Amino acid sequence: MTALRAKSYLLSHLYLAIVISYIVQDKLHQYNSVTIVVRTIKEDLMNKFRRIVLWAALTLVLLLIFLSIYGAFLGAERAKSFFNSLPLAVYWTALTALLIVGIIVFRRLVRVPALLLIHVGCILILAGSIWGSQAGHKLQKKLLRIEKIPTGQMLIYEGQQENRVVLEDANQIGELPFYVRLKDFRVEYYKPDFLQIQTRQGKSWKVPVEIGKEISLGEDVGIVKIVRAFESFKIKVEDGKNVPFDDPNSAANPALEVEIKSPDGKAATRYVFERFPGHTYPEDRLHLWYQRIISDYVSQLQILQNNEVVAEKDIEVNHPLHFGGYHFYQYSYDADAGKYTILMVVSDSGLNFVYAGFLMLCIGALWHFWLKRITP
Amino acid sequence: MEIKYTIQGLLIYIAIAMYLLAFLTTFLRHERIGNFLYLFGFISAVLAFAYRWYDVRHVPLQNLFEVFLCLGVISYPVSWFCRYTLGAGGYSGDMLIAAIMLVPAGFVFSAEPQRLPPALQSWLFVPHVAVYALSYIFMEKATFQAILSLCVTGRMQHADSEEATYRMICIGFPLLTLGLILGSWWGKLAWGDYWGWDPKELWSLASWLVYVGYFHFRYMFGKKHARINSLWTIAGMVFILITLFWVNLSNLFSGLHSYAT
Repeated sequence: MTALRAKSYLLSHLYLAIVISYIVQDKLHQYNSVTIVVRTIKEDLMNKFRRIVLWAALTLVLLLIFLSIYGAFLGAERAKSFFNSLPLAVYWTALTALLIVGIIVFRRLVRVPALLLIHVGCILILAGSIWGSQAGHKLQKKLLRIEKIPTGQMLIYEGQQENRVVLEDANQIGELPFYVRLKDFRVEYYKPDFLQIQTRQGKSWKVPVEIGKEISLGEDVGIVKIVRAFESFKIKVEDGKNVPFDDPNSAANPALEVEIKSPDGKAATRYVFERFPGHTYPEDRLHLWYQRIISDYVSQLQILQNNEVVAEKDIEVNHPLHFGGYHFYQYSYDADAGKYTILMVVSDSGLNFVYAGFLMLCIGALWHFWLKRITP
Repeated sequence: MEIKYTIQGLLIYIAIAMYLLAFLTTFLRHERIGNFLYLFGFISAVLAFAYRWYDVRHVPLQNLFEVFLCLGVISYPVSWFCRYTLGAGGYSGDMLIAAIMLVPAGFVFSAEPQRLPPALQSWLFVPHVAVYALSYIFMEKATFQAILSLCVTGRMQHADSEEATYRMICIGFPLLTLGLILGSWWGKLAWGDYWGWDPKELWSLASWLVYVGYFHFRYMFGKKHARINSLWTIAGMVFILITLFWVNLSNLFSGLHSYAT
């Protein structure tokens, strides 16, 4: 009897244990499937979101293609103001935001370092250029109380110093916290200069200028001899005669003195001016041009703070001066007398970000496309 | 149309003739002779380029005459690289295209030597133009493959051509990026801004973006819409051609790059 009771006791407990384990298992199963379902829904939503992000990326890329084409038809000047306008500011912000969202939702963009470099590079370029734009400078002033001139021009005479900058946008004047002094300005030319000769029949020669050189142009045209070169041609009257001379103190007026010997033995002296092409006598059978080709413009600059020279550089095209958060470029000059230079002043705000972005984009593109993709 | 009665012109015409003959002989299945003629044409183009270099005393990449001469030279090593390193086809097509590249140099643009203006005297001048020239050759090959993939009917062949196009663009795209960025950097040094909104800059940005669009589209759909993938590539080439020609030659846009005619 006791054995029977013990058996039924054991059986009932066993049954209970089995039932409990079933319930637990069932509960566990239910729990697992709920988490799986939740996870699947989440993943599904995420995939949908990723799809939307990709479509948005494609749309913004296509939009920028169309905007670029439109901008190309506008020409540089109007395109610049178009791409800096408010609707475009919204576009740039959206593009930057989308790139950031892309990096967050696409794990591949983080896992593959080259892709991360490319996309972060683009973000840095966009962010840097937004920060360096006109609007970016206004933002800097509001948020950080940094007051910088975005871009402008300054005109400086030789031997003078200047800190005023004519601003690009509103013809206003800005002031730099230091002075820029122009020690000297010069234009450099390629050597040799050229003398171009053309007959009335249209036959032409282009000869390098050598003093004392005689150029024989054939029996029916004669000989042209280059006698002398002037930097600043001027005329003075001596003993009732006009005498040309080189005047270093006057405005540049480059000229050549040539002697034309016609086939009939007559000789005539002529002056050929670089600045006044086509200056010929009606009886002349030849047209002459004096050509000099500019090789460089050089401004010798000094930066002065409290009347002390703190920086110095000879700037030329392709070699600007960088000081105090600004770049100074050779922009224009006094074409008549060479007495002043015009510099372009550009703030360097955001430039480091742009350059970092350039570097990352280049490294990323080379890494991703060359090292990974090209092998068959 | 400008026929050049100079040693330089003669060298260019020999190169064009050799490239064309190479194409014809390869097309007629005389590959060895074709290869020999192709090499001969290349040597002639190199001599023309070297002659020009000596003549103007700077790397001749200043105007479109010089750029097309350069394209005619680098076509050969690029097609050699594509054939032997990437195992890409279209070798005979390369010969024809090399000849076409030299035609503008031989018959269209003036070879009057020019001195470098101050803005072009920069160490970035050569890499900027050379990298672009190289990327254009790869993109041109990609386009050739893409057109081929649109023409073929078999599914397998189609997929092969599409894949070959993709690989070519993968080589050309970083070069295109590098060219754009080197140009931008140079712009900062020479003109004061890394982006000037100049028409040529905008067209080059648009061409770069077409390839960016292509990569994103291909990532989204893979080879599902292979024909659209090919169309992206062809669009890219159209944009490159506009960047190269239209901006320089038309009076529609005046801009900073206008000296590069």
